[in-house]
Amino acid sequence: MNCAEFQELLPEILDSGETSESKVHAHSCKECSELYAELREISQAALLLRGVEEPNLRVWNSIEITLRQEGLIRDAALAGPALVPGHSRNWRLAWLVPIAALLVVMTSGIAIFQRNSQPQSIANLTPISTADGGTAEDQEILRAIGERTPTLRATYAADLQNINSYIRDAQDSLKNDPGDEEAQRALMGAYEQRAMVYEMAFERPLP
Amino acid sequence: MMRSRGNLTKAAVVTILAGVAFGAGEIRKEFRYSVGPKATVSVTNQYGPVSVRPIAGNQVIVTAVLNSDKVEVDQNQTGNRVNMFSRLLPGADGETGKVEYDLQVPSDANVMLHSNTGPLSAEGLTGEIAMEGTTAAVEVRNVDDAHVHIKTLDGPVTLTNVQKGHVEITSVSGDVNLNQVNGMLVEVNSNSGKIHYDGNFGDNGQYRLMSNTGDIEAFAPDTASIDVSARSIHGQVENDFRLEPEQTTPFLMRAESAFSGTLGKAASSVKLHSFSGKIHLKKRSTKSK
Amino acid sequence: MTEAGGRQDARISEAEAIERAKLGDSDAFRILYDLHKRRVYSLCLRMTANTAQAEDLTQEAFLQLFRKIGTFRGESAFSTWLHRMAVNVVLMQLRKKNLPVVSLEETLEGEEEAPRKEPGAPDPKLAGSIDRLHLQRALEELPPGYRTIFLLHDVEGYEHNEIAAMINCSIGNSKSQLHKARMKLRSLLKANKTEAAGRR
Repeated sequence: MNCAEFQELLPEILDSGETSESKVHAHSCKECSELYAELREISQAALLLRGVEEPNLRVWNSIEITLRQEGLIRDAALAGPALVPGHSRNWRLAWLVPIAALLVVMTSGIAIFQRNSQPQSIANLTPISTADGGTAEDQEILRAIGERTPTLRATYAADLQNINSYIRDAQDSLKNDPGDEEAQRALMGAYEQRAMVYEMAFERPLP
Repeated sequence: MMRSRGNLTKAAVVTILAGVAFGAGEIRKEFRYSVGPKATVSVTNQYGPVSVRPIAGNQVIVTAVLNSDKVEVDQNQTGNRVNMFSRLLPGADGETGKVEYDLQVPSDANVMLHSNTGPLSAEGLTGEIAMEGTTAAVEVRNVDDAHVHIKTLDGPVTLTNVQKGHVEITSVSGDVNLNQVNGMLVEVNSNSGKIHYDGNFGDNGQYRLMSNTGDIEAFAPDTASIDVSARSIHGQVENDFRLEPEQTTPFLMRAESAFSGTLGKAASSVKLHSFSGKIHLKKRSTKSK
Repeated sequence: MTEAGGRQDARISEAEAIERAKLGDSDAFRILYDLHKRRVYSLCLRMTANTAQAEDLTQEAFLQLFRKIGTFRGESAFSTWLHRMAVNVVLMQLRKKNLPVVSLEETLEGEEEAPRKEPGAPDPKLAGSIDRLHLQRALEELPPGYRTIFLLHDVEGYEHNEIAAMINCSIGNSKSQLHKARMKLRSLLKANKTEAAGRR
């Protein structure tokens, strides 16, 4: 077997294994031996690429919303005991949380969800603000917390202020560079924090 | 995980031991449940600590110490799921409404803990762990091959020895400390809370530590195998390692505000991002004690 | 083809989750999603090299799966069924959006490129030095046709007869394109290694 024959058979050798002839040739030809070893290593290293990336949480949120709209998800209370911690709310409106988060995001001008929109739209949309800087939704949360658990009102207020600041920082970054994926991710992170605060506030049990 | 209802033969067995006067006004209660594999145990407790540890066998044992008669513990078992809920009576406040929970569960149980004040702690488990607190300190230790989800407003979070894990933490202003935490996914989304990581960045995982203003400090060994990118838009970044340069970066790098590169075989992906916090990637040998 | 680290317990829960998903249990859908999301998303990301598109395609793949879950009879492993569906969705969506999938013309043009090499420079050895990052980078530089074949065969583990059916080519073509993809990757990895050495 010569080099040309070896290299022509290389795809079969890599898929099905070496033959006695190919082994003899590889043993005597450094170049073919190296070629075989390197191609085999590339093929094996491919497994490093399998399943290592994690999709953003918004992918599941969008899937869940669609499944509910299409009636493929029915009320959790009817389907039986919950299977997953964190998704076991025996509260009929719990599924609205991802929608609420989505609406918060959309009304605050996140062009990320709108794949075809111009990036400049982010800069032009701002949350509806109240006089003291928080959004109308924030004030509603603080009012409810103040009535229910007054000792926690200050904590919620400070954290909502931090989160709004985070959102503004991320939006400013995106104004400068609409294609900045990390700024987009940071903005989503900030909105996830806001959604978390809303979820905590709504799900705290009443005394 | 749950068997179908038709096959679950273990009936819920609840034993409420006599309420014993424990301290001035305190009442102690104990509940026992028989469960199957991968039971789910949920505790919602406005005020007071909740701790979870493993126990051999197929039982869940809950000990609740109620601080006063202004709070009651509602509990039920549905199939393989146990729910505990602290119900505040009129006139209850943060002290009188306090309940201290101690849970012993099979190590493969899934646990969900909610508390405003906490603290919340769990150790030695392999199932799903979800913890949510407002100001509660959260601690998870010695956990293997588990999913850990933590949400907090400003309670500090500490994870120690969490291996082969899937970890997601969202904190607004609570500091997050990760000591020997490795897994396929380790993600921290913080606002002003500081993030401290001390581990190997192992398991061919994705590590994403993000903050708005909180500083990020990460310790790694010389032998770490990582593809790292660090960026602080308004803050400083520091790096103790000599990284192999990246060929392309997704953002414009100014030397003092970003660095990226690889160590070893770049098996794990590490992203350290902040808007104005300081980021420092440190070699473990230089960690000050 | 479950995620790395899948256990017997996970397979039991998957069967339970499938039955409950047929009844409309949202937790069950979430379990199935969590079990397979990384595999599906990674495939979409590698084929499109674009995060936003990959997320769209992941969403679409799972939605199509969940809409048809009532028809799953358990003849094959659920993960196999899901994965095939995901690949088909990705390929269809790429064609629909006129994004490159497999083009013999592109791959033929790729053949004519000479490997980048400095005259007189030593030929760097790759054995023992291929890591995920460099392979990922090289994969992004592959022509789309080569990339698809390499992803489906070496990364995702499909056989040539399955690939041929998916992308409507002959088995022989699939084999020869795979070989060319590997050769091209080898060339890219060596060139990138040489460039990296030159920058030091």
